[in-house]
Amino acid sequence: MPIAFKDVSHVYSAGTPYEYRALDHVDLEISEGKMTAIVGKTGSGKSTLVQHLNALLLPTEGTVYIMDRTISAKEKPKKLKSLRGAVGLVFQFPEYQLFEETVLRDTAFGPKNFGCTAEEAANRARQALTLTGIGPEFYERSPLELSGGQKRRVAIAGILAMDPKILVLDEPTAGLDPAGTASMMKLFSDLNKKMNKTILIVTHDMEQVYRYCDEVVVVENGRIREKETTAEFFRDARRCNEMGMLPPSLIRFIEMMREFGFNVPDGITSEEQLAEWIGREVKHG
Amino acid sequence: MGNIALGRYLPLDSPIHKMDPRAKIMAMLIMLIAIFFPSGWIGYGIMFAVAAMMILLAKLEVGFIWRAMRPMLFMLVFLLIINILVVKTGPVLAAIGSFEIHLDAVTQTLYIAVRLLLMIMFTTCLTATTKPLDMTLGIEDLLKPFEKIHVPAHEIAMLISIALRFIPDLIDETQRIIKAQESRGVDMQEGKLKEKIQAILSLIVPLFVSAFQRAEDLANAMEARGYMPGEPRTRYKVLKMAGRDYILLAGALITGTAMAVLAWVI
Repeated sequence: MPIAFKDVSHVYSAGTPYEYRALDHVDLEISEGKMTAIVGKTGSGKSTLVQHLNALLLPTEGTVYIMDRTISAKEKPKKLKSLRGAVGLVFQFPEYQLFEETVLRDTAFGPKNFGCTAEEAANRARQALTLTGIGPEFYERSPLELSGGQKRRVAIAGILAMDPKILVLDEPTAGLDPAGTASMMKLFSDLNKKMNKTILIVTHDMEQVYRYCDEVVVVENGRIREKETTAEFFRDARRCNEMGMLPPSLIRFIEMMREFGFNVPDGITSEEQLAEWIGREVKHG
Repeated sequence: MGNIALGRYLPLDSPIHKMDPRAKIMAMLIMLIAIFFPSGWIGYGIMFAVAAMMILLAKLEVGFIWRAMRPMLFMLVFLLIINILVVKTGPVLAAIGSFEIHLDAVTQTLYIAVRLLLMIMFTTCLTATTKPLDMTLGIEDLLKPFEKIHVPAHEIAMLISIALRFIPDLIDETQRIIKAQESRGVDMQEGKLKEKIQAILSLIVPLFVSAFQRAEDLANAMEARGYMPGEPRTRYKVLKMAGRDYILLAGALITGTAMAVLAWVI
């Protein structure tokens, strides 16, 4: 069990008029090696939840278990550095964390902090930059003069270079163009499938959840409303609508066909499968 | 960061909150001048009573004033030490060998402490009851007469209001960047000197980048909406002095004059 929350609450500004309970007795287990989507409305507590994963925020009540570490409300944890190296957290709009003089040095900053030698860090940085599609021609340029999309790639490479076991991404594709979004999601999916990383991704985009994620966690008012597999979650488009989220276009399309009287079977999860089924129906029906 | 009391606006409903910012600023200035008249303990007693009454009227809590005062305590202790070392007049209170502590050292520090307390009480009465926006409107109006000698009243007020507007944003931004860099293994608290410099650099550079970005965005947004410095503008909110504002001003003038007279007599 790499990640578990046990009765975790988080209260901001406790004891002041601005007191706010962002997490309210959360119990949650995240499966190892899976790609899990965390969805929910703005202000539901998603970001607070993910910041507990590398102990940037500590629980006000309850206990968080991350790999071999236990972080509980009662004791102040020590030596958080090893945890931060093992859980890579990519914030929303991570480009603001860039500060070094060159792209390569900025990407190598993380591994260096976790004790890599300069050479090792540079190697890891080159690998990570290659993964995110930043070519060697950019290595010696200032990260601040790149385009928005390139900055995002460099910033994400900066976390990947730390080689974390668990990768947590807070809306990593917000503000990217469709092509950039698709290649980013493909990268995360590959990291999960080929390099067996546990990935948590906070997103509002149900298409992404449907296409890439194995499990879905729905956060609502600081509580976990649902946690199930993607297939279960999308079996019924109405549940998405209930939670104020637009279901993926494929689900909406199947739903519409059913309304028109077509008997579309369960278990169709891609456009290709649907097209195939429609083809068969047209030929035989 | 959320616990800074000095200069913070408190959204309460009190007669002081409803007063015209211009009247409040003027009254506060008069009181600040009055504090510097050497009107003796009687004078300070009266001033303290006036300040306490204002705080009561503004529905402020004593704890809030105390929190605003607390950062000054260190300075006062420092001052006391200096005074003990420097001031060598008045009767001797205590002596350690050849080193003597004189009464005047203590009374002089006490004087400054009382003045500081009074200043904080009066300024808090202004800042805690006046929205930053109203404050800048008030400052702009009070600076208007100086436009004749080419003081850019409106621009100064706009500068102040923009600066105030962005303080909470920059605090948020700072915390965001700290978190992002901590996720990359930066230790903001511990580490060797070299690591500390690196840590601060990793915070300052992004903060500057984003502050300049915000400034540029804001300038563009203002220009897009036709803002031209120096051109005449109408105002959405028009300040108007009411009866209670004149009462406040009169009260401040009377107290100020009384202090001046007291200082003269003593």
